[in-house]
Amino acid sequence: MPEEVVPISAQLGAGPSGPSIIDPVNRIEGHLRIDMVVEDGYVTQSWVSGGLFRGMELVLQNRKSSDAPYISQRICGVCPVSHAHASCIAAEKSYGANDSFYQGIPTSARILRNIVEGAQFLHSHILWFYNLAALDYVNPLNALKANIADTVALAEAAGTTQADFANLQKRLQGFAENGQLSIFSGNWFDAKELNGSSAYKLSPELDLIATAHYLEALEMQAVASEISGIIGGKMPHIMSSLPGGTTFVPTEEKLDDILFRAKRLQAWVANTMIPDTLAVAGAYLKAEGTNSDFFYGGNEGNYIAWGVFEAPSFKPEERYLPGGVWSFNDPGYKTVQNWDESLITETTAYSFYDRSIDDGTPINPRSGITAPLYKSEYALADIRDHPQEGAPYTWDKAARYDGKPFEAGGLSRLLVAYNRGVQEVVTGIDGVLSALGVPGQLEVLNSTLGRTGARNVETLYVANRMVEWVTELIEAIKGGDSATFKQAANHTGEGAGMWEAPRGALYHYMKIKDDVIDKYQIIIPSTWNISPRDNNGVQGPMETSLIGVPVEDLDKPIHALRAVHSFDPCVACAVHITEPKTGKTFSTVTSPWGVK
Amino acid sequence: MCMTTKESCTDRFDAMLETRGVTRRRFLEFCGAIAVSLGLSEAMVPSIREALAESVIGKTEGALTPVIWLELASCTGCTESLASAETPDVATIVLELLSLNYAETLSAGAGFSLEEAKEQTIEAGGYLMVVEGALMEGWEGNALKIANEKAIDIVRHTASKAAAIVCAGSCAVDGGWQAAVPNPGGAIGIQPFLERSLADGSFTYEPNPGGLPPIVNVPTCPSNPEHIIAVLVDVLLVGKLPELNHLGVPSLMFDQYIHDNCPRRGHFENGEFVYQFGSEEERKGYCLYPMGCKGPQTKNNCPIVRWNRRVSWCVEAGAPCAGCANANPTKQGYNWVDLNTPFLKRFKNLTIGDISVQPALVGAGVAGLVAVALAAHGVGMKLTGRTKGGADFEEVRAWDKKHPDKAIGVAAAAATSEESKASDAEGGDE
Amino acid sequence: MPFILTHWVNLICMVILIFTGFYIHFPFFPAFMGIARGAHLFFGYLIFANCLLRVILSLFIKSAPAGGTRKLERDVKSFLPQKDNRHQLGAWIKYYLFLKKDHPLGGKYGVPQKLTYVAIPLFILFTFFTGLCLWAPTSVVGPFAAFNNLLGGVLVTRIVHYFCMWFFIIFSMLHAYLANVEGLAPSKMMFGWKEHGGLVYDPDAHVIVGEDKLDH
Repeated sequence: MPEEVVPISAQLGAGPSGPSIIDPVNRIEGHLRIDMVVEDGYVTQSWVSGGLFRGMELVLQNRKSSDAPYISQRICGVCPVSHAHASCIAAEKSYGANDSFYQGIPTSARILRNIVEGAQFLHSHILWFYNLAALDYVNPLNALKANIADTVALAEAAGTTQADFANLQKRLQGFAENGQLSIFSGNWFDAKELNGSSAYKLSPELDLIATAHYLEALEMQAVASEISGIIGGKMPHIMSSLPGGTTFVPTEEKLDDILFRAKRLQAWVANTMIPDTLAVAGAYLKAEGTNSDFFYGGNEGNYIAWGVFEAPSFKPEERYLPGGVWSFNDPGYKTVQNWDESLITETTAYSFYDRSIDDGTPINPRSGITAPLYKSEYALADIRDHPQEGAPYTWDKAARYDGKPFEAGGLSRLLVAYNRGVQEVVTGIDGVLSALGVPGQLEVLNSTLGRTGARNVETLYVANRMVEWVTELIEAIKGGDSATFKQAANHTGEGAGMWEAPRGALYHYMKIKDDVIDKYQIIIPSTWNISPRDNNGVQGPMETSLIGVPVEDLDKPIHALRAVHSFDPCVACAVHITEPKTGKTFSTVTSPWGVK
Repeated sequence: MCMTTKESCTDRFDAMLETRGVTRRRFLEFCGAIAVSLGLSEAMVPSIREALAESVIGKTEGALTPVIWLELASCTGCTESLASAETPDVATIVLELLSLNYAETLSAGAGFSLEEAKEQTIEAGGYLMVVEGALMEGWEGNALKIANEKAIDIVRHTASKAAAIVCAGSCAVDGGWQAAVPNPGGAIGIQPFLERSLADGSFTYEPNPGGLPPIVNVPTCPSNPEHIIAVLVDVLLVGKLPELNHLGVPSLMFDQYIHDNCPRRGHFENGEFVYQFGSEEERKGYCLYPMGCKGPQTKNNCPIVRWNRRVSWCVEAGAPCAGCANANPTKQGYNWVDLNTPFLKRFKNLTIGDISVQPALVGAGVAGLVAVALAAHGVGMKLTGRTKGGADFEEVRAWDKKHPDKAIGVAAAAATSEESKASDAEGGDE
Repeated sequence: MPFILTHWVNLICMVILIFTGFYIHFPFFPAFMGIARGAHLFFGYLIFANCLLRVILSLFIKSAPAGGTRKLERDVKSFLPQKDNRHQLGAWIKYYLFLKKDHPLGGKYGVPQKLTYVAIPLFILFTFFTGLCLWAPTSVVGPFAAFNNLLGGVLVTRIVHYFCMWFFIIFSMLHAYLANVEGLAPSKMMFGWKEHGGLVYDPDAHVIVGEDKLDH
């Protein structure tokens, strides 16, 4: 939180005290529990926990390296493409030491993978902003009160696209008259600020515009997925990317299908998504009593990105969104650094794992030893209970870089790109800061609003690249470079695919012998963000972000929900383990058929 | 969170208002705002207050069919997939066809109020229950908890009054990839789980005690939006569940092999195959059979409904089918990952315990052993001089020698010639 | 003799089925799949029909119950347990393993031979059945679908069908070897030699009664 910003609501006296729980957290991927201690209206302690154990790495074991991209995608239905590519890269790196095989991936395959990855980024970001996060800020039911003429004028003024507002309002009217609330069941539209004003600040007209674009976004995220579908056969879970390149044969017939969809998305992001972001953010910033509250949700300010969208050089620091480590506050990372895989550690000090095998010492994932074990004493008697002091409370591990918590995600990527001088990102970030009335104040990005804004700037950046890549691919094919696949000769080795999912830094590691997977490790973005306390008791980035967030209603802590959503958490994939070397620890698994 | 009567529901609602520090006045103000937003007069506020006190889901009955969409151990891919639905699109579905009262990925609400929406929907009954993702039984069900409740309990509770259950995606049908060896979290499909719960008495289906709710399994990873919409929406229009085959999956979609509808089938019959990615044959769009395509053993209509608004499907993207629609709710261990890996190989290993071998190796190995044995035997035959017409016959059967009283043939010929002739006469009369 | 014909049909069917089966298993060379599948189906039905024919004929046609004899008996009898073979399984196994010097005395077929020959039509029927389980048009029909379901899916049926083929391959190896290792006379029968000479076994007396020098 920037120093000069003092929450106005803090001056209004005491708010409620007590436990505040969000379980389940909605509109995310997977199952997440937010557990907070609220004192006088502010969060003073927090625990973030993942409630699901699946065990992907164990399933991958003893299968072929080429099976891994297909299976590991199933970790996440929002970012399957990233998992496929991280897995492909891990395999390709294990096919030849010093990236000798990886760097030989044909140009067309590299570009095609970038395009399908980009399509997934667009899909994910559009869906996240409009269809997942927006309901924290937009109340579609409020749009019933909108005046159509004013709405048209407002859209004009905000520079965003028009829509058939009158018809939409009629549609909403019909919905309201029926009286069943559907996805608005149990909504938080009545949530309030500490000062008693509504937490939903938009005028009915802006709500109507946002609702219209909510529906348009459903269309556009589907269009983005159509690109993934054309290249990958289907989305979610594409089929064409595999170690060595791609199975997709880029024909003219397919390329024009991709190009014009990319152009349509580019135009929509530029003309609708960006103006909407500024309009909604502006409305919230201008709303009385909330002026500064909108900047809550900050944390240590450490950012990590492995980099995504492979460049011709195949170097992570030169990717279209480059890899790097950067921090607002940590002296070692105030200038951007290249990442070093050996500095990654994970600890299970506060996770459901077997202490007799794993004492919680931080360990590099390449040598990670993990044994899941749930004991009945970990269970919370009541949903409002907090975890006991020192007790494990999540299936997630705590990922650390250089021993410190780091945030991963769109904001991390953009801050790294900004500090590496990627021109379009610098222009975009500076432009947004100016538009929000805080020119040059990069530090305000360390907040709920910052994460949201950065993600949308990234959306535009990726949309622009998409059109470029398709053009580049067309040129490559014109030039006679039609290779799309390279056969590997060697299938023994190890390698790490360090890549980015829309939600942040993604790590796949595989060790293969004669093409059979001996060991597999995955660290997904949310392992960084929703990490629990580590062996030193240091909280994860999301836990830190919740400290100091105002809470007016213990059962509807809207600001905490907004802060959580700003990370775009993806929890289904956050829980992972590897086969313990010490023998069979899975005898505890109860299944009627036993463990095969 | 269980509420059994409306009284307890109202009481609880009031109690909740109090614990939240919400005064009655403020609550009525809020109701007023809702009334205005709904275009109703202020005079109607009391009745709305009543409705709201009983409900966070609005009216329990109306034009829309209530739906509870449970997300279990899933990747959210089936929801994502549904978001790509075209006609009707997902907005039309949630605003004009279904009342999606509980869906973690789409609901506006979160936490307590969302759980309450689920409870109230269950209490009202007559809802469709859609399940996405596998159920996890590991660690007595602690492998998956939502709102501090084990998913195994949530499923039993939600299923107890559901009008029908739709299992969306292979995970919900049989555990999917999560049930693949070694099934670390104890994944299981909904139907096998409920069948077992019914058998051990931990589950009762209220509308039909002793039976199971109607279950429609819709495999594929993720489920194809065309299929889900066909089941959800078309069912509402037609008014009955689709016809199911022996696996409880809709016959219309899943009774034909992908192979039989594949546009590359002609190349298959012509014997035009891709043997290597990146080859000329791949460019020509030949059949992917040698590359491990699972189309010939996977039943689905992918080539017809296609994906992502019909733009393409796996084989059209050059990728051999991975057989993700192979889901078997009647048999554990036949999930699509165990069944179909290695995906890019035509042959699969035969796994018995820890031993994993190619069937061809077994066949050829046994045949080879037999060949070696025969060769060795041939040498023996040669050495013992049996290759010229075989060894000499024994005079008397070895057994007969030891049992002269029961013997036939020479030794017996004298003693039992009468008897022997008689029996031959019997046998020789045809 | 009709049985020479059915034996030839069996041989041709098996060779073609095994070859096309291997090709369908993995297409080693291009441009043959349609033919291979067509042939596999045709000869699959043919061997099934042939198998039925052979079994039915064995109930009606008479054949020599032993080498050298002029007596004829219903063919099926040679395949069923006979007095001549009582308690001889051990003796035959010992004989094949060189643990017994002289040839067990008996009728046309030895005990292991009989068992194998009886297994063959059963295996043909079973393999034909699994084949129909795999063939799309029949795989959805009641019993075939039920069998697939019992095994867990067509992939498992496919492996069962595959192992059935190996049974026939191994049987053929054994059969050809054992039939010819004591002289090529049995093979000559396939080309029309009516019978081979050698010792004459009297099926009535259950003993060898002399030797046929083929001079009649």
